[in-house]
Amino acid sequence: MLQASENDTLRQLLVDCAQGNRRAFETLYHCVSARLHAVALRCVNRREVAEEIVQESFVRIWHNASRYDPQLSAPLTWMTNITRHLAIDQLRRRHEEPLSDEQLHSLSDEAPTAHEQLASDRDAVALNRCLEELEGMQRQSILTAYFHGLSNADLAAQMSAPLGSVKSWIRRGMERLRRCLES
Amino acid sequence: MNYQSPERRRALAADYAIGLMPPTARRHFERLLDEDPELRKDLARWQDVLATLTDTLPEEPVPDHVWQAIVARIDPQRLHVPAKRPLWTGPRMAALAAVLVLAVGVGLALRPEHAQYATTLVSANEQPALRLQAFNGYLELDPLSLDAMAKDKSLELWAIPAGGKPVSLGVMPTLGKGRMKLTERQQALLGAAVTMAVTLEPAGGSPTGDPTGPVVYHGQLASL
Repeated sequence: MLQASENDTLRQLLVDCAQGNRRAFETLYHCVSARLHAVALRCVNRREVAEEIVQESFVRIWHNASRYDPQLSAPLTWMTNITRHLAIDQLRRRHEEPLSDEQLHSLSDEAPTAHEQLASDRDAVALNRCLEELEGMQRQSILTAYFHGLSNADLAAQMSAPLGSVKSWIRRGMERLRRCLES
Repeated sequence: MNYQSPERRRALAADYAIGLMPPTARRHFERLLDEDPELRKDLARWQDVLATLTDTLPEEPVPDHVWQAIVARIDPQRLHVPAKRPLWTGPRMAALAAVLVLAVGVGLALRPEHAQYATTLVSANEQPALRLQAFNGYLELDPLSLDAMAKDKSLELWAIPAGGKPVSLGVMPTLGKGRMKLTERQQALLGAAVTMAVTLEPAGGSPTGDPTGPVVYHGQLASL
């Protein structure tokens, strides 16, 4: 989770963007573009496509900043969802099979830089602990649905499992994740 | 579907957040969201939980050209409108000025109602292309010399307040001549020094609500 002050900063930047403030938009870009790029890359796994998605995300953020509702989501959650939806649309249009999670995992296993390590350590400990609590199938179905936008039926096909099992993995996995993160 | 039991609502919000709801159910759910603050809170919690899945991704710096492409798209007038030149020095511009003064004079004499603002939009190479006058509630357009245009394109007119975003005033009449009605909101945008720009868009106007094509004509409103 982000620290409260960072959330406040991003929220204010979005308010300023909604009023047409280009300087705020540039600051916002510097704050979050590398993170949205990471999300896009995680979804589509192709650098040139991910860059296009980042571009489209920021055009949308600029034009839709006034629709951001702080009651509804944290600012980074809102922006992440814009990027993720664009990436998933792109995947569906291209009908390309993204790499499996195992393959992706091996790709991202390169040692992170010290800076990245610090940045992610701050938030990741709780999440990693919570993800580890999930059973393998729960974790895999949640990650695949979230990052690749597969439907229940596609998930069932990809994981060679009955539809009912996939639904219950996701449902139980999400409940466990939420309880764990909120504890 | 029963949306009343708390478990069911929570489960549906989870499905919606992760993206597993079929389109029809999604639209239904979005209507419920509009009316139900508790459901919105439930959804927000799920979205925050799911967003933590991205926390562990290592940051990926973005190459500079991406930012430049974004700027070009949100700010088409800055990219395409040529830099201002001292227009009022050449004899051509003096002649144009005289024509404009005459045109405005004739316009005023013939009309019972006075235009509030006017401008002559010029093309990228500074050729006068279109005369625009703003009245209370509508714009009057008179083509001077418009470039030929493909049938599957439309010209769309935008008002760009200083430092603000372009706001569409609508698709122009096919031959560039006629009236365009203004809503109160559009009318309120008009004022001295507001930039007017015409972009080339797909037939029927920009699909996104923002300019997508190049600026073909532009000018600044002046008070009359």
